[in-house]
Amino acid sequence: MIVYLLLPIIASLLAPFLKPKKATHLISLSFLIPFFAACFELFNFTTTEIPLLSFSPPIGEFYVLIDPISSAFGLTVCMVSAMVGYYSFPYMLHRFEEMGLGENEYRKYIVIYGLYAASMLWLVYSGNFIMLYIFLEISLITSFLLIYMYGYGNRRWVGLLYFIWTNVAGVLTLIGFIVIAMDNSTLAIKGISAISMVAWLLIFVGMVIKLPGLGPHIWLPWAHAEAPTPVSALLSPLTVGLAGYILLRVYLIDPSFIQAYRNPIMIYAIISSVYAGFAVFKQMDYKRLLAYSTVSQMGYILIGLCLGTYGLIGVVIQYMSHAFGKSILFMTAGGIIASYHGLRDLRKMGGLHEQIPSISNAALLGFMNLGGILAIGMFGEFFILRGVVDVFGFEISTVPLIVAVVFIFILSGWYSFYTLKKIFYGTPKDLERPKISRYLDVPLYLIGILSIIFIFPPLITVLLNGLKAIIGGGT
Amino acid sequence: MTEILQFAILFLTPVISSLPIALAWIYKPGEEWARKLPYLSVFGLFVSLVISLNILFNFEEGFYSYPWIEDFNINFVFVVDYLSKYMGVLTALIAFLIGVYGLEYMKDDYRLGWYWFFFNTFTASMLLVVYSDNLFTLLIGWEGLGIASWGLIGHWFRDDDDITFVGEKGRKVGPLEMSWSPSFGGWRAISTIRFGDMPMLFAIAAIYALTGSLDIHAIPWEDLFVKIGLVGTVILLFLFLLGPFTKSAQLPFSEWLMTAMTGPTTVSALLHSATMVAAGTYLFMRLTWYIKPWEAHVPGLEAIYLLVLFLGLFSALYGASVALGLRERKVLLAASTMSSLGLMFASSAASFWVGEIAVIVAFWYLIVHAFAKASLFLVAGHLIHATHDRFCSGNLVFSRKMKVAFAVTIVATISLAGIPPFTAYWVKSGMDGVMEHLMEEGLSLPFYLLVLVSVIYSAFLAKFLSLNFIKGEYPHHEHTEGGGLMKLAYSAMVSMLIVLLAIILLQREEHAAHFLEEGYLKMSLYVGLLVTASYFITLYKPTSKLKIGVIFTDRMYLPFLNDFIVPKIGWGIAAIVDALNRAIDFFFHTAIPGFFDRLSIAIRSIQSGYLKSYVKIVAASIMLFLVIFSLVGW
Repeated sequence: MIVYLLLPIIASLLAPFLKPKKATHLISLSFLIPFFAACFELFNFTTTEIPLLSFSPPIGEFYVLIDPISSAFGLTVCMVSAMVGYYSFPYMLHRFEEMGLGENEYRKYIVIYGLYAASMLWLVYSGNFIMLYIFLEISLITSFLLIYMYGYGNRRWVGLLYFIWTNVAGVLTLIGFIVIAMDNSTLAIKGISAISMVAWLLIFVGMVIKLPGLGPHIWLPWAHAEAPTPVSALLSPLTVGLAGYILLRVYLIDPSFIQAYRNPIMIYAIISSVYAGFAVFKQMDYKRLLAYSTVSQMGYILIGLCLGTYGLIGVVIQYMSHAFGKSILFMTAGGIIASYHGLRDLRKMGGLHEQIPSISNAALLGFMNLGGILAIGMFGEFFILRGVVDVFGFEISTVPLIVAVVFIFILSGWYSFYTLKKIFYGTPKDLERPKISRYLDVPLYLIGILSIIFIFPPLITVLLNGLKAIIGGGT
Repeated sequence: MTEILQFAILFLTPVISSLPIALAWIYKPGEEWARKLPYLSVFGLFVSLVISLNILFNFEEGFYSYPWIEDFNINFVFVVDYLSKYMGVLTALIAFLIGVYGLEYMKDDYRLGWYWFFFNTFTASMLLVVYSDNLFTLLIGWEGLGIASWGLIGHWFRDDDDITFVGEKGRKVGPLEMSWSPSFGGWRAISTIRFGDMPMLFAIAAIYALTGSLDIHAIPWEDLFVKIGLVGTVILLFLFLLGPFTKSAQLPFSEWLMTAMTGPTTVSALLHSATMVAAGTYLFMRLTWYIKPWEAHVPGLEAIYLLVLFLGLFSALYGASVALGLRERKVLLAASTMSSLGLMFASSAASFWVGEIAVIVAFWYLIVHAFAKASLFLVAGHLIHATHDRFCSGNLVFSRKMKVAFAVTIVATISLAGIPPFTAYWVKSGMDGVMEHLMEEGLSLPFYLLVLVSVIYSAFLAKFLSLNFIKGEYPHHEHTEGGGLMKLAYSAMVSMLIVLLAIILLQREEHAAHFLEEGYLKMSLYVGLLVTASYFITLYKPTSKLKIGVIFTDRMYLPFLNDFIVPKIGWGIAAIVDALNRAIDFFFHTAIPGFFDRLSIAIRSIQSGYLKSYVKIVAASIMLFLVIFSLVGW
């Protein structure tokens, strides 16, 4: 596995020496191979550790942690990174042209892109919190650079804004990790036995900023909207959700904090999700709209975290489902931007299915993922709902809670189809029919198809059986 | 194992056989060869029909399962029982016939790939719902129905052809324009359905959490209801039934069904007969079949069944009255479907007091209604093609050119209205018997409601016949040639009603004797005569100038709920959220940086370069220090 994990890093370093097209294929292939490797691990229920380095306490051992959870996250990261990689090729060339930069700029871009995606992959497999933090920071810096250099609008300001917010999140988490290190004299995940409330609080607050929850969520629409679209398509589906991954890992070691403050966290998560769901309706910029939907969807993750065993299974599936769906959607936004010279304003769209049917159909797949309709998200919603009954019981007093969670799901379906109608259906506008590069639509369908076949055996079977082995549940 | 394989073929063939046209349309839309591919899709529907017939005749009743996620006790479990084996054939047959009709009806359409893909997915999803015993397997079909109906209702997404709209353009009631476009119809359908589906998903998850099982037949229903108590039972079943209520367009979720008429007529025909709306009532029947409320007298159940009984009856009354006031061919039929669905719900709910036979009566009514309504819709589609008008029009001169359609409409309406001795009469008699039985339980209202609904129902069917073929205006536009495949399809469809009549009269089915027995009762005959009278009176005088008609035409102002009240609330909240977002954004990205800007300017002002001011600061600091020092103490 370690070889497969190294592939993307090596590929990113080699890529600048190749022509853009070849470099793209190299990068994407270097993520597709670990994708299949991660699937293979999932099928074998591999749970293993590969030692890398050993440090003296309180840092402890660095190792690669492979279990069904990291396989599930890993395969998602690989799939999305590979597909967005292909997508970058025509999109970024188009962007450079727009910015007045030459094709040579692609060399810079592809290195940073590769490292960004690879750092997230490594984060998922990190067996040590410091190692995890290092990759978190690498992903932060690389994504910051991409926004700073190739973003839209006032990209330098947005880049800084993004950097400061996520850095605050990162530093709080780091302090949390240090507290853990002091208490346990190691940061190797297998060696940690207890996490104090202070450490939990710091990590939790840090990750809620990154996730983001209501309040800190305000950074996300800026960053996601102004980042170059391939970066948005990694940032929103993969990066922010990794905060959920970190919380999940911490929870599996010691759930005390969440258990102690379950009700307030739950209420906060619900409010955050409903709030962002309503905010979606008011957005007039397609990418900002998607960003608010991300906030709403990340609320699911926080909710799932409060819901015991089945909630945690829901968290993993929700991450995958959101990653698949949102990456498709950001790429459709990019498709429209590339076809119509930066068209992002919903008011100027309408009936676009007429001109760009392949992108419109892909958007349908994406929104089906968000709504949990005939895609893997269905299981996520199902397990979260089951978690509600498991943890809070089925009584009159829990009815408001049940109604609230159900309403969140209703709301995401509503804004999904409302947006679809607004952008792609209705009387077509007077626009020409662009020629869409196959790189701009085929990757979207590949993700979409994966998200659908994931609800059928054998994929869902091995995924859930694997999660059962780590998290529990089942019969 | 071969059985499971057949089930797999049954569900997958329609979808797979429609992929070629879907792909062809993405890359080469409108090519001549691509327009031949729908034959393949219809062949896929035919394969499903053959297998469903095989299931009917050769499969043993029982459960067939295939592992899915065994460790979580979620599996593909299919059931063959009285309900599913007939319902499966019904669905497959109707879908196939409509498919044949669609070959001609849709042949010049601009979006064939989309149409056939979703049409076949629609059928496959319904078959999955029909045969599923496992609730999660059922959910896949259920969601498939939702998404496919969205796709088909909004099929003509360009909103550029008045023939695809519902309502009258420019007619305003208060702030609302009573006109709806296809893309709006699709959105309204999926948003309404979503409102019911998610509570249902929760209810399924709750059943799973409380019993550990998802197979309808294996869930210990009675233990479950006892465990969660009266209130728990009511809440659980209510949330569950929101799914069927929205899908089957019961009050107040009926508006989507009316605007669903923006889809192609073939879609309306399929949607209204054997799929989608029937899925809701069918699911309720299936649950009732296994909950056996007539045996398990759990207190919470009575409340729920009472609710369904009256909701069904009032929806039936609403639908029938509204149909009376509508002039649009398809929308009239849509309202009538809502009415029939209400009767199905009511009759199945009566099983709590009457027993299993009430479900069987409801199920038979579903079958009769499906064939009759599909025929009527297909005729309506042909009429719309022939007259290029979605409002009722046509007289005896016109009907001479549309002889087959005329004959089919006559057979379908008299068979569905409940005129003795035609098909629906026997089934309706069974329903009269069920409601009469309720009188003994102290519930007399249902019977009177049923009679009232039956009379109105028969009236608007006669109105449909009269305004389209006998007493309507002469159509402004005429195109009556051709249509061979369409005629073939609706003739075949309507002939099924005669087959059903034969089955009842010749007692070729175990429950036929019961229907005959009920049909010979005096009470049934009286109701039958009332219905007949109402039919012929309306046939003679199809229109009326009564004021109340306008209220019916405006669907008793129910569109206000969907288009005014709910959106206003939603947009209100969205506006508050948006204002809050601006405030938060200002606080973090303007106020805080601004504060630090000013702070840093203020601090920098100290660094003035004058020795005098530095000395002052040092002296002041020392003074301050000494003051604090003396106050706090050493």
